[in-house]
Amino acid sequence: MKGNLSTKKGFTGTHDKDNRGIRNPFEEFDTFTFHKTQIPLDQIIESTEVVMDQIRRGYEKLLEEEAKELVWMVQYNTIIKAYEVAEKHVREIDYSAEDIEDFCFALENTQKIPYFIPGPAGLYISALCNYAKEEEILLKLSELKTEINLIGFRLPKGKRLVIEGDAGDFTGIGLEGGELVVEGNTKNWTGAGMRSGKILIKKNIGLHTGEWMMGGEIYVGGRIRGLGNIVEGKVFEREKLVYPGKARHPNLYY
Amino acid sequence: MELYQFIHDHLYFNRPDLEIKGERFNSTILFSLLTGLKKGKELIIGEPGLGKTTSAEFVCSLIYQFPLGVIWGSEVSGHPEQTEEKIVGRPDLGKLNRGEEDVVWTNFSQIPTKIVDEINRLPETKQSMILDGVDRGNWEYLNEMIINEEYCLFATANYQDGGTNTIIAPLVDRFDVMVESRYPGANLSFLIGKSNRKDHILRHVKYEKELHRIFNAKTPYEKKIPLVEEVCNSFGEYIHETLGVKPLQKRDRQQIRLEMDDTDLDQDASAFTRMLLAELSFCDRYGQKRSLENCEEGCHYTGYLCHEIKNCASNRLPISIKQYGQALAWLLEDSEVDIEHVKSVIPYTLAHRTQWKDEIVSQRERSKRDDPFPIFLAKEAVKTVSQRYREQSEHLKDALAVGSKIFQGESLEPLEGDHPLYAEIKKDLSTQRS
Repeated sequence: MKGNLSTKKGFTGTHDKDNRGIRNPFEEFDTFTFHKTQIPLDQIIESTEVVMDQIRRGYEKLLEEEAKELVWMVQYNTIIKAYEVAEKHVREIDYSAEDIEDFCFALENTQKIPYFIPGPAGLYISALCNYAKEEEILLKLSELKTEINLIGFRLPKGKRLVIEGDAGDFTGIGLEGGELVVEGNTKNWTGAGMRSGKILIKKNIGLHTGEWMMGGEIYVGGRIRGLGNIVEGKVFEREKLVYPGKARHPNLYY
Repeated sequence: MELYQFIHDHLYFNRPDLEIKGERFNSTILFSLLTGLKKGKELIIGEPGLGKTTSAEFVCSLIYQFPLGVIWGSEVSGHPEQTEEKIVGRPDLGKLNRGEEDVVWTNFSQIPTKIVDEINRLPETKQSMILDGVDRGNWEYLNEMIINEEYCLFATANYQDGGTNTIIAPLVDRFDVMVESRYPGANLSFLIGKSNRKDHILRHVKYEKELHRIFNAKTPYEKKIPLVEEVCNSFGEYIHETLGVKPLQKRDRQQIRLEMDDTDLDQDASAFTRMLLAELSFCDRYGQKRSLENCEEGCHYTGYLCHEIKNCASNRLPISIKQYGQALAWLLEDSEVDIEHVKSVIPYTLAHRTQWKDEIVSQRERSKRDDPFPIFLAKEAVKTVSQRYREQSEHLKDALAVGSKIFQGESLEPLEGDHPLYAEIKKDLSTQRS
């Protein structure tokens, strides 16, 4: 049998504190003090928010530093300069591929980010992709209302970036050996200046495709509106080689 | 625990089917023991021949020191021709011839260990005959009454067949727990067939005759009790000497009950039980659950148990939970009834009392399970509420603590929350304020 338990109060309680004869049904919780318990989800949300804040701050700094340079005017030297600034901020952040996708949506949906300029945003996202730990990155952007420009800029060898949805102008420019897959359409200047690697566009592509590309391959599942002045490399339209070849002329509209 | 182990090792062979705080138990033996210790009422269901009655007999014999022969002679078996005279008592015919009215009480009404075999073979109209006795230990016949100060009740029920009836709702509600005496598996079953001595080790012909004589004597019931206790103690000593296990004397049982009553529910056990009760009784639209009212289409509280059941939890449910929680905590030598204790006993206190909606039954009756369907559903319900409690426990306890402060006159607002318990707290406070 158990030890002496006589010091404890009776099970049903014995006294009323309110003197009205009605028993306080919550009396046994008088001694309760609230401790906020953190469930694993809380911690995940908290850490995601910390990372998102860092990513956002990096983007804001890029905008501040590069505002004067009007990077969205897209001159190649300003793009390179802006990308270097983006690289500098991105290197200091510990993030995952999911955070990149969250940032893309945060650009559109949160008041915390003052500007969503498709050019700098695309450069910054490209830097995030290029410096991510993961070799393969999937960004589900089909719900995004704005197409992001410059996505896949300088995607290095060994990286595979898959975009679900459409991308904007200058997609995959300066590609450096990586593989860029766009499940939807892309606009003009796709793959311009790319050196090596592979770009796969599942649907249609705009004008100046592969302008000044120096190597690599562009595969288009749909139609190409116009080819740019290609230096080196291959372009396929619906599995048919269109560059090098006689069938297409630069910027032929059809 | 010594008695549990003895029954498990020598008398009732079955597999453990319940784990509490890392210890494995057979639910039939465990709940029968707790019923005997706590003066409870247990319904044992199962297929014929799977030890429903014998498990209860062994427990009764060891906790109350009655030889099996006396227990057998006091059992009531359910059949359509059963009468009040065979269950409760009959007129003393000799005295009646002399124009005097006197009652000869049955062994069943006098013995503290009451076993009703196959209760669902009693027609529904005759089940109400034993309602009062079952509930309060009051047995009335003609104008006389005896009151059992100490008693426990075990009733067995077969699954529905041609000869069974439904157990009426008020009688079902009076059972604290329901367990299944299940098939022990081919190997243990084979072992049971090999040993046929186990019925005899708890018998003693001399003491059986002596006890029958006392029960049949025409002395007042109150005067028989000490005499019965004396013989029982002698039988208890005999068992101790021959089997090495010590049955419980009356003073042991009283001491155990005192210690059990002194074991409080801790805050989590209390808050969890309140949370469950709120879900089993709450209706935003009609004030409370009622079995004749249906849930409103698109009700905000569709995610809670109130949306899955038809009836309202009775006041006997929390009593059973507390009693068996205390008994279990005592058995495990814990100083408080904690949430693990209540979570372990609740499915067995809830299974027979809950009427699930037809759609819930049809959704889940084919689910893979080890337990009989009502116990399975009750265990699933406890799992669901446990999940909610894990997420909300601190806020719920805070709401109850704030409720206490408001009750004592502090000027605070009751805490808001989605769970029905928040609404119940508000109701209590508004009643108190008005």
